[in-house]
Amino acid sequence: MNMQTTPRLTAAETALVEAFGAQIGELPGNGAVIGTRDRLLDDLKKAGLPTRRIESWHYTDLKTLLRAIPDAVPSAVIDPLSPIVEGSAVLSVLDGIADIKATADGIELSLFKEKLADGSALAGLTALDKDDAIGRINGSFVRDGFALVVPAGAEIAEPVELQALHGAGQIHTRFPASFGARSKATIIERHRAVMEGAAFVSSISDIALEDGAEITWIILQQQGAADTHLGQIRAKLGTNAKLRLFVVNAGGKLVRQELRIDVQGEGAELTLRGVNLLGGDTHTDVTLVLGHNVPHTNSTEIIRNVVFDKANGVFQGMIRVAPDAQKTDAKMACNTLLLSDDGGFSVKPELEIFADDVICGHGATVSDIDRNHLFYLMARGVPENKARAMLVNAFVAEIVEELEDEKLVEALEGVISAWLEKHA
Amino acid sequence: MPAVQETIDQVRGIDIDQYKYGFETVIEVDKAPKGLSEDIVRFISAKKNEPEWMLEWRLDAYKRWLTMEEPTWARVEYPKIDFNDIYYYAAPKNVTGPSSLEEVDPELLKVYEKLGIPLKEQEILAGVEKPRVAVDAVFDSVSVVTTFKKELQKAGVIFMSISEAIREHPELIKQYLGSVVPTTDNYYATLNAAVFTDGSFVFVPKGVRCPMELSTYFRINEKNTGQFERTLIIAEEGAYVSYLEGCTAPQRDENQLHAAVVELVALDDAEIKYSTVQNWYPGDAQGKGGIYNFVTKRGDCRGARSKISWTQVETGSAITWKYPSCILRGDDSRGEFYSIAVSNGHQQIDSGTKMIHLGKNTSSRIISKGISAGVSQNTYRGQVSVNRRADNARNFTNCDSLLIGDKCGAHTVPYIDVKNASAQIEHEATTSKVSDDQKFYAMQRGIPEEEAVALIVNGFVKDVIQQLPMEFAVEAQKLISISLEGSVG
Repeated sequence: MNMQTTPRLTAAETALVEAFGAQIGELPGNGAVIGTRDRLLDDLKKAGLPTRRIESWHYTDLKTLLRAIPDAVPSAVIDPLSPIVEGSAVLSVLDGIADIKATADGIELSLFKEKLADGSALAGLTALDKDDAIGRINGSFVRDGFALVVPAGAEIAEPVELQALHGAGQIHTRFPASFGARSKATIIERHRAVMEGAAFVSSISDIALEDGAEITWIILQQQGAADTHLGQIRAKLGTNAKLRLFVVNAGGKLVRQELRIDVQGEGAELTLRGVNLLGGDTHTDVTLVLGHNVPHTNSTEIIRNVVFDKANGVFQGMIRVAPDAQKTDAKMACNTLLLSDDGGFSVKPELEIFADDVICGHGATVSDIDRNHLFYLMARGVPENKARAMLVNAFVAEIVEELEDEKLVEALEGVISAWLEKHA
Repeated sequence: MPAVQETIDQVRGIDIDQYKYGFETVIEVDKAPKGLSEDIVRFISAKKNEPEWMLEWRLDAYKRWLTMEEPTWARVEYPKIDFNDIYYYAAPKNVTGPSSLEEVDPELLKVYEKLGIPLKEQEILAGVEKPRVAVDAVFDSVSVVTTFKKELQKAGVIFMSISEAIREHPELIKQYLGSVVPTTDNYYATLNAAVFTDGSFVFVPKGVRCPMELSTYFRINEKNTGQFERTLIIAEEGAYVSYLEGCTAPQRDENQLHAAVVELVALDDAEIKYSTVQNWYPGDAQGKGGIYNFVTKRGDCRGARSKISWTQVETGSAITWKYPSCILRGDDSRGEFYSIAVSNGHQQIDSGTKMIHLGKNTSSRIISKGISAGVSQNTYRGQVSVNRRADNARNFTNCDSLLIGDKCGAHTVPYIDVKNASAQIEHEATTSKVSDDQKFYAMQRGIPEEEAVALIVNGFVKDVIQQLPMEFAVEAQKLISISLEGSVG
């Protein structure tokens, strides 16, 4: 038997390598960008898709879970949807291609494919570390997206919806966004399958908040039951910047949402809220790596999960407090309602603390619906199934209500209720 | 003298560079040649007069070990261990096996006297019966003496060194050894299976409540010697036993390896309480020397309504890599883990527990208190897993970390895997420093700063100290204060 020098590739790995070979001729990018794409794919090929042996992928063995990559198919004709919040500016990306006519008041907008073509997107095309499979896949294959620049001091009144709709095939998008000092905006990043057939989606949002910017960023993932969604948020917070990040997962078969956040300016504050609605046979993983890198920063994270059917959920939350980051205040909670014996949920809330004058804590719970709560409602004449539905709804709606903005709350509650009605 | 004052005096007298148990004893020893090979495994087995099946068991483990890789996932850093630069067997001469106290080398007895370990079977004095503890003393590679054997025998309890047990109770050893921690388990456990030299064996038969606390005291004395002990405790139906473990080593510039395996088996309605005060030499203030402590401890709640409880106070060792676990196999079984891990100087601790819920109505409780000072790193790593069939599993976990000084690190890495909807799992963790308000409150009442910190720390670890047997609790409290000496201000 011959010793193999390179490990054998799985079907999905082979499909990725072949797809790259087939697509590289038409992927946008100047010489340097193409060179970087080559290198990222080469790294992916050498390392392979991550397995459970890699700590950050412990609960999502991508090598095993990602069995196949659907073939790339020519773009289908897709019509934009109306935004989930009335009055929002819609920036649509249909089947991975950004609408060249899109505009949003007060925002300097450019097409990501143009930034690839002129090489200005090069700096962002990196893997964050040696285990960053999403960075490698997206960097190799990304075709388009929008780059947003909000000027200093600008206050964008209405939400901006980045509407990524797609059919079957391979979709790789990217949304770099920079928010100038003291700017204010609400961005809704919405991913949704609108046709039958499996899709393989990767999407990275690079968000930079300059000093004093106050931004709400909502990710609404509603992929199809056969879709793979690999999402990544890279965020950097400057002095006194405030980022409210909401992540709602309500679809997809294999989902990984990575949140890589660096709090880099004193007085900065991160508020992360997550709602994971898991049904069918989905495997959904939300992984947070949060760095408190300077003194006097705050963060709170609350993740609520509901698990039905044969769904499996994962939350990994790592909070890292750097050696000089004194007076850090970080609190994280992850609560799960496990409603099915065939489902499962794994939590790994991690604290890595190198400074002493900090207050950090995390809590995690996993349980069924509280029988006392159920009894309370049933004793008042609410039938059991309805009582359960009410309690589940209340469990996640509580998180959404923190958004305060009525229209936003209503829109997200609508998404949640519709999902629960379908699954519960 | 009030207890607090006594602690403070003790603290003043000793700083981190003056490890209390750091003395070395010159005793003639019998050593195997340095290094690890099949021959060494055979040598150890022959020294112990082991039967053929035991040698085979060891050789199997050795062969398996050669194919294994050293684990690197823990948050500890150390230079590569040269497993061929270690003596795997060192025994004081003139010890042919644990027998009566009179035959033991008086030098050895002096060592234990210095350590404060009662090897003389205490008499009833003036009508007052003191709490008695039976001790198995392990010096380097061999057990030198086991006290109160006869009295325990009367109750039906077997308490002896594991080498003796292999010869005298082969049927029990064959049945239970490796049944909780198999020889294939992990790198260090496999190494231990190949070269373990001694340890304790406890068997408490059906319905017996062990009449006294059992205890093992480990001492590494020789240079460049690894200590590989193996402990096996079996509690049959309805039995109860409480077991204490203590350890120390001389102060040396080089690092020494300690890789132990502890297996506990609790059958129906049995209860085992296992307490450890680990005080191996931690190295000096510059991080030179100290024990590398790689330990596999696991309890198997095999029977229904059985209970295993681990309590540990970890103050010593340069590196601690240790996860006492409970496999909750029997229905209605319960696992508990109480831990205080104190790190100072350059110490690195990566410790925690695993609670594996397999049976129905199982419950577990984890209380972990980590205290880091100096430039040490202190990690809690734990897992709670609920199997698909483990209906009504219940877990409560609380791990708190306290930081003293801004050069140290405290980390928490819990893994929670739940696959059954009826489970109820709660986990909470906090990290903070000794608050200025608390310190101010104590100091403005005239308590000096160091004493104030000791007071606050003692309050912080109270939940765990309460779980320790009385004699250990006092020792543990003093140890914690001593370990933290020099970390204030």
